[in-house]
Amino acid sequence: MTTGTPVPRLAVHGVSHAYGLHTVLENIELTLDAGRTLALVGPSGCGKTTLLHLCAGLLTLQGGHLHNDFGRPAMMFQQPRLLPWKTAGENIALGLKAMGIPARERRQRAERAGMAVELDAGALAQFPHQLSGGMQSRVALARALVLEPDLLLLDEPFSALDIGLKAQLHQWLLQEQARRGLAMLMITHDLMEAVRLADTVLVMDSGPGRIAHRLDLPRPALQRDDAWVHRSTAHLLHSPGVRRCFGLPPLATGPHPSPDAGDAGMAQVITLSPVQYKRSLAC
Amino acid sequence: MVLLWRWVSGIPAYLWSGWGAVASLCLLLAVWEAVSITLGPLILPDPGATFGALWQLLAGGVAARELLLTGQRAMTGLLLAMVLGSSAGLLAGLSMTAAMMARPLVTVLLGTPPIAWLVLAMLWFGANDGTPVFTAFIACFPVIFVGALQGTRTLDHHLKDMAAMFRLPWHMRLTDLYGPHVLSYLFPAWINALGTAWKVAVMAELLASADGVGAALAIARSQLDMPVTLAWVGAVVLTLLLVEYLLLEPLKREVERWREVQA
Repeated sequence: MTTGTPVPRLAVHGVSHAYGLHTVLENIELTLDAGRTLALVGPSGCGKTTLLHLCAGLLTLQGGHLHNDFGRPAMMFQQPRLLPWKTAGENIALGLKAMGIPARERRQRAERAGMAVELDAGALAQFPHQLSGGMQSRVALARALVLEPDLLLLDEPFSALDIGLKAQLHQWLLQEQARRGLAMLMITHDLMEAVRLADTVLVMDSGPGRIAHRLDLPRPALQRDDAWVHRSTAHLLHSPGVRRCFGLPPLATGPHPSPDAGDAGMAQVITLSPVQYKRSLAC
Repeated sequence: MVLLWRWVSGIPAYLWSGWGAVASLCLLLAVWEAVSITLGPLILPDPGATFGALWQLLAGGVAARELLLTGQRAMTGLLLAMVLGSSAGLLAGLSMTAAMMARPLVTVLLGTPPIAWLVLAMLWFGANDGTPVFTAFIACFPVIFVGALQGTRTLDHHLKDMAAMFRLPWHMRLTDLYGPHVLSYLFPAWINALGTAWKVAVMAELLASADGVGAALAIARSQLDMPVTLAWVGAVVLTLLLVEYLLLEPLKREVERWREVQA
């Protein structure tokens, strides 16, 4: 990521956050440029969601700086969060309605967005409780993408889905990103998901939440196959620091899945200078 | 097209589901007839005599006049309660403190029997329209207030975040977020209150008015005219049932279509 370019960017500098006396985030630094994907992974309670909500503007910033050039952010939440009294189609068109787009046009755009995630007219006429969980997730995805966002915030939206559906939603997201240069900031506790989608994976440690490790993945996301994703995830999981963050026991001596010599897509796990963190012992 | 088809295909099932209710009502008539034969017409006139008397009241236009009068009083009280109860409940629901303060007060209001209010109303308003209107209002108010309060308090904060993220303007938050949710609590409360208003207005008239269904009931009672007394009771019940099942129930089904549980 280069600096000083006119591309839109989200930049977070020295952000800290506390709920009452309980500090959940400490001195967070990250930048996200248009067309890139940044994944935040970490154990439950490390402040991932708080950080994402700060970036989304759903929480008030307490300390540090947050700079956001993106004009059309959209978000996918952990649950689909559809309005139960609106049909799937009306739910997809919700953001368009908020922008004041006339009914006819927003219906057409919602239909197109629904079609892109394989929801037919029959499904769009149904109420959320009549749809399966997977279909509800697709409605939530269409509701976010129909706005043609330039920044998409993802709050573990795929954690409850089966692997087939998850893979399909990943593909749709990546295609949309390739088409329009969409920036994605995702949080997940699924390392494999992070490695599959992200250009950069930031591993967070808890108590208080801070970014402890960083993994850059140069290979373009659409060119990653399953074998590569498995290898890279195993590579990440072999880093002793990352294991400590997730509370995993240290590995017994075993073969380290070192990246193939010819694979330029593999990268090193960088442990971020622990000096700047008070509790250097933890990671 | 889908809507029309759903409506048409729903009709037979709705009518068919009515058979159960009809059968149960017929059973009631049979029991009524049997008790009437056992006890004699002076204690309990048989259904035939009662419906005959009702028919005469209807044909003579007496029933329509008195029902309209009572209806007017009940509806005035109900409307007042709907407007004030809904808005006060909404406002109380928006603030945690107000909600906590309001709850015990409403419990006291709910626990006070309408007859106690009636006695107070008779002292305050005398024998004019004010007494049934006030009694109906005060009996309905807490029911509606609680409905509005619960509706506002139970809105999922996740949906509020979602609305903030999708930048819903304030009027859309009202019509698309708060409105439908609160209405799903308010509507049953309104229907509940309608029944209460109607019954309480009749009771108030019986004790405090010179006209209306309640007064007609009082006159029939003083003349020991059992068929006419029962005919008035029947008229009161039938009116309520007609309004509820022909007007409110279909309306409720339309408003709450999204809640329908899929078979």
